[in-house]
Formats: sequence, structure tokens, C-alpha cells
Amino acid sequence: MQGLQMVAVVLVLCASLKLLHLLGLIQFTEDSIDDEQEQYTIRHRPEALEQLEAQTRFTKKELQTLYRGFKNECPSGVVNEETFKGIYSQFFPQGDASRYAHFLFNAFDTDHNGSVNFEDFALGLSILLRGSVQEKLNWAFNLYDINKDGYITKDEMLDIMRAIYSMMGRCTYPVLKDDTPRQHVEIFFQKMDKNKDGVVTIDEFIDCCQKDENIMRSMQLFENVI
Amino acid sequence: MAAGVAAWLPFARAAAIGWMPVASAPMPTPPRDKRRTQDGLIILNVSGTKFQTWRNTLERYPDTLLGSTERDFFFHEESNEYFFDRDPDIFRHILNFYRTGKLHYPRHECISAYDEELAFFGIIPEIIGDCCYEEYKDRRRENAERIQDDEDNENNNDLVSPDMTLRQSMWRAFENPHTSTMALVFYYVTGFFIAVSVMANVVETVPCGSSPNRVKDISCGERYALAFFCLDTACVMIFTVEYLLRLLAAPSRYKFVKSVMSIIDVVAIMPYYIGLVMTDNEDVSGAFVTLRVFRVFRIFKFSRHSAGLRILGYTLKSCASELGFLLFSLTMAIIIFATVMFYAEKGSTASKFTSIPAAFWYTIVTMTTLGYGDMVPKTIVGKIFGSICSLSGVLVIALPVPVIVSNFSRIYHQSQRAEKRRAQKASKEAGQALVTKNSATFENQHHHLLHCLEKTTNHEFVDEQTYESSCMEVSLTNQARSRSSSVSSSQHGLSSCCSRRNKRKSFHVPNSTTGAERHGSIQELSTIQIQERPLSNSRASLNAKLDELNCEQPFITAAIISMPTPPVTTPEGDESSSSADYLQSNIVRVSAL
Repeated sequence: MQGLQMVAVVLVLCASLKLLHLLGLIQFTEDSIDDEQEQYTIRHRPEALEQLEAQTRFTKKELQTLYRGFKNECPSGVVNEETFKGIYSQFFPQGDASRYAHFLFNAFDTDHNGSVNFEDFALGLSILLRGSVQEKLNWAFNLYDINKDGYITKDEMLDIMRAIYSMMGRCTYPVLKDDTPRQHVEIFFQKMDKNKDGVVTIDEFIDCCQKDENIMRSMQLFENVI
Repeated sequence: MAAGVAAWLPFARAAAIGWMPVASAPMPTPPRDKRRTQDGLIILNVSGTKFQTWRNTLERYPDTLLGSTERDFFFHEESNEYFFDRDPDIFRHILNFYRTGKLHYPRHECISAYDEELAFFGIIPEIIGDCCYEEYKDRRRENAERIQDDEDNENNNDLVSPDMTLRQSMWRAFENPHTSTMALVFYYVTGFFIAVSVMANVVETVPCGSSPNRVKDISCGERYALAFFCLDTACVMIFTVEYLLRLLAAPSRYKFVKSVMSIIDVVAIMPYYIGLVMTDNEDVSGAFVTLRVFRVFRIFKFSRHSAGLRILGYTLKSCASELGFLLFSLTMAIIIFATVMFYAEKGSTASKFTSIPAAFWYTIVTMTTLGYGDMVPKTIVGKIFGSICSLSGVLVIALPVPVIVSNFSRIYHQSQRAEKRRAQKASKEAGQALVTKNSATFENQHHHLLHCLEKTTNHEFVDEQTYESSCMEVSLTNQARSRSSSVSSSQHGLSSCCSRRNKRKSFHVPNSTTGAERHGSIQELSTIQIQERPLSNSRASLNAKLDELNCEQPFITAAIISMPTPPVTTPEGDESSSSADYLQSNIVRVSAL
């Protein structure tokens, strides 16, 4: 009977404590009541149309069309990485485009503040669509050079290659092997790395690309996209 | 894919420049843009209210009236605008659908008017956004029910045709008493007799004064036994006649016999007949008495006369699972407390808590705050737990009964809504698949983009089945280790599988082995290959616009016709050596897998 009495007393004690805790009169830990998370939305208004027209190689009408599409998807005026990944992934339904979208985002986000506003967007597109071959190759080099130190190492290239291959997804013909990206990187380095020092500099890169007819031709491919 | 994302396709294509330096094969040529029309404003005049929007906005959905050439029928030359003689308030929502990609349903609008507008503009309702879809479906269902009710009433009134058989008219009389005077009379007579029968059952048991040679009072039933017997007989006669008539008139006798009301009828009259059949035997008189209890079921016959009772029964039936859960949780609490009380009171002398089932009674009485007082705990511990039991009983039963009722109603509706949503989801997705088609230009450019990716990585997109079969083939060739067997199996792979594979492999020949002099033809061949590829469903999930691809590029038909020959002639005729090399390389490649 003693034991049961003890149990009864302990039970009553616990129940009352729990009741008081429920009523908010006492608190055990520092977990405070959840207050409303203030949503801090960044809003961004782009520069004037004339300024953008001067900075980029687009006409006013082209900039207007671009901005309308941009603003439709991102009403706040900036794209953060998640939205960017989401948009880009919709074009590659079979694979996982998030890795490549991450690198692409970093290439567009020139000031590295974590968001791409319309100026970055328009400047990037201006280089890609209306820039000279040199500028385009520069942009591509910038994309591959993940840490922006001026050299493309094999690891960086492997990352990029894996990201590109992951966009293909699983169902490919021929079947994707695990070291296909690595083999591709080897081929790439064999072609690009002239002095065989294990890294590709910007000069080697541009030099080698300008000698390759296929690459030169494919650079002109998307001239009339807008 | 959302139509809004189509605006980002130029960006995705521009970003494809990032793949160019690493590509191992030349890129396919981009599709020609057929209509490079300048994007202009379109004026839509809807009954005087002018709406303006970009032409591209409307053409996002080429399957609707506004997005296709059908709108040209409404073009008004004099004012250079499109005039529609429709409701401008509802048109606002339809135009917003083009702008935002989401169709909303305004709650204040009439559902039929809204449906008509949607049908006129060629928009299917399944694409209504999630925020408004439930409301829309509910309103639509209500409307449909209202129409159905109206039709039923009309049908009932109309069915006074003389060519109705006696049986049908009888059934109608039974189901709808207000249709004819005879039916009404019958209705009231049966109701009266049900009431009389129930009253007689009740009064039978009242003590009616004592007779001198008995110790206790006798009931009225025993005193006026004959009178009650006659009354009972009369009622049962009426009920039997009614049951037989209903059985006769029912359109589906089997269904009628299975229905709840007929079972109640049978149960109501059975005891009388069983009583008639059975003699005044001592053994079965106990059972006979039990059977008389069933006579009380006659009161349920009233449910034919009262709609409220029917609704109550229906509600109970539909809430059965929630009530069951409530009962289950109560049972758990009862068992817990009964066990505790039994062990607490075990020590005390002359305790009424002789067993746990005996303690159940105490727990139930305490928890429902009845407190008869026939069983009380005597020990201190027992009293503590007893008080906890009664407090929890108050909390568990008395206080939240209204909350539970509303909770159950809310949960019930929620589960209904989830069921509805699940059922609606399938039709919604089917509808959305129809509507979210993108324009042909978009599909072309998207296909080209994916082509570039394929060229970059030197792999191709295939669908699930081909992937599975290619995996199986790989494993097959892996099993055959010797060169000859691998040759045979690879040849088997080349010849027996679909011709698409053949064509693809044969086109690798010019790219890999020949040099610059065959440049032009390579380009040509690869162009033809690309244009022709979508026909063979190499990317199964993205082949929506293949038909349009066919129509827009007429030269493709020539390519199709000539297609069967190149795979056969080119490797064998012109480049026999290279084909041998190719086959060699192919063999090597296959066995390397």
C-alpha cells in the first residue's frame, strides 16, 4: 500500500505541474512562445531603362520583354537560389538540374550577395547573347572556375561535369556509368591543358576554344534567342 | 510546365552556352522561328468594357478561344478590336487566368453563369486553382442536386399517366402519401395503429389495482387480457396487410425485403405469430416473454412518418466510426481506472470491489458523474484515485461533449473533403494535362535545348522501357564473355531491336570517322537525324508536340521516306571499311560494357 500511495502522490504532483505548464504559468526550458516570424522580403527596383540600355547590348524593347518575363516569375524583383533552381529544373524534367543551377546562379550573381536582380540577369544575358566570342568564352570560364581564382582544376571541372550529367537523369542511352563524368573531364583536360600543369588558365582555355571549330560554331548558336 | 516559365526559356537556352566548351559533339542547329511577330497589344471589348493585354499573353493557351485563331471571328473591323457580347465581370477572371496561369472562381457569381462563360471561352473547369476548386465543386454539386430534385418533383407530378399499372400506382401511393387521398388516409390509419399498439404495450404493464385473492397488484395486461389481445390482433392484422401490400407493390421485391424498414416491419409482427404458434409451454414461455420485447420495435415504424427520425438514423450511421472511437477511448479509461481502484481497494475489508469487472461499474458511474453510491472506496488511496477518476470523468465526458460533437462534425467534414479532394484530384490532373500545352515554338526550342544537352554529354534521353531493355541487354552481353558470342549478341542487339537504334548508331559513323570533307553532309545528316528523331519517341515524356513538328517542317517527309535506305546503304555501300571499323568499335564498346 505504501508503494501505491507514493505512486498516487507522484501522479498528482506531475499532473498539477503539467497543468500549470499548460496554462503558461510556469515554464521549464527557455522555449518561449513562438512569435510570428517577420517575413523580411527583399524588394528591388532595377535601374532606369536608359542606364540598362547603355550597359547591356539589348534594345529598349528587348529589355522590356525581358523584364516582363522576369517580373512575372519574381514579383519581388530578385531571384534567390531556390527559385532559380526551381525555374531551371522545370526545363529538365528527367534529371536533377539543381547542381548545375547552383553553378549557374553563382555565375549570374556577379556581386555574390546571394540574389540575382534584374541588372545581373540582363548583364549576364547580354554577354551570352550579344557578346563577342571572347566575352562568351570568358563567361564560360567564369562558370567553370567555381572558386573564381583564375584556374580551373580537375576537381572543379569534375563538379561541373557531374552537375551536367545529373541533368540527364537516370534513363539515358547508353547507360550512364559512374566514371563517365571523370572520363569526360580527362578528355577535356587533355584538350585544354597545354602545359600539362593540371590546371587550365583563362588563356589556355580561350586559345584552345578558338582553335576548335565545333566550339566556335556552337557559340553562335543562340544569337537570335530574344 | 507553367506558362509563365516559358518566358524563361530564352534564359535557359542562353545558359546552354556553358555546355559548349565541354561538348564532345557538335550542337544541333536551332529551330527556325516561324513567326517573329512583334508582341503587340490586343484590345478586347467585352460588352463595352475594354480590356487590353499583350498578344503573347493570350497565346499562352492555344487551346482556348482567345489563344487560337477562333478569336478572329470576333474581330470588329471598324474599331480594330475584338468584341465579345458577354459578361464583363466574369470575363475579368477569365483574362486573369491568361495573365497568372490560375483560374479563380468568384464566390458571389452564379455557378451556371460562370460555367457558361467558361464553356464559351473554351476553358475547362478542372484547372481552377486549389484555392477556389472546393468551393466551385460544392456549388456545382448543390446546383446539380437542385436540378435533380426539380426533375424528380416534376417526374412525380407528371407520372399521373393512365398507363401506369396498378402496382406502380400502389407503390407511388405508399412512398408519397400526399399524392392521392387514398394514400393519405392509409398513411394516417397506419400511423394511428402504430401509436395505439405502442400505447397498448406500455399500458399493459401498469399495475391496475389489486384483486382480492392476490398478494400484489396485477398489471392491466393480465386483468384485461382479452381486450388487449383483441387490440393486439387488430394492430397486427393491419401491419401484416400493410407489409404484404408493400411487398406486392415494390418494384424490386428483393431490394425491398433487404431494406431496413421492411426488417423493422417483420420484427414488429413476428412475435405475435410466434406467440400464436407456440403453446402455453413452461419451457418456452421465458423465450416468449423475451420475444414480446421486440414489439417495442413498432415504434421505429414511425420513421416512415417522420423525416427527422430518418435523418437522425442516417447521421448516426455516418458518424459510426467517430462514435466507435469515442467508445474505445472511454473503454480504455474505464479499464485503467477500474484496475487501479481494484488494487487500491484490495486491502480494505468488506470491499465491494471484488474484481476488476466489478470495478467497471464503479468507474462508469463515477466518470459519468452519476454517483449512485452503491460502491464507494474506503481506503485513502482508493479515495484519491476515485477523485482523480471523477475529475477525469468530468473532463472526459461532461465538458467536451459539445466540443466533441463539433470536433467530430469538423473531422467528419474534413475527411469527407479529403476524400472529395482525392477523387477530384485525378480529374483535375487530367484536365490540367489537357490545358497546359505550350505553343509549338516553345516546344521546338525546348527540344533543341535538350538536344544540346544530349550532344554535350554524348548520351541520350530515353524513356523507362527502353532504359530497362538496354539495361537487360547490357547484362546479357556481360554474360557472354567470348568475343564471338559478344559479336553475335551485339549484332542481335543491332538487328532485332527497334530501328531507331539502328539509325542512331549508323549516324555516329560520319561524325567519328570522317574528317572535314564530309562536313556538309554530316551537318545535313545530323540535321535530318534531329528532325526525324522526335518521331521515334526518343524522349518519350516530351513528345507532346510531335504532330506540329511534322506539319511545320514539310521537308521532313522526304527525310522519312529516305530514312530506311541510308542505314542499310551508307554503311555498306560508301564506307564499307568504316562500317567495319564502326562495327568493330561498336563491338568493342558493347563488350566493354
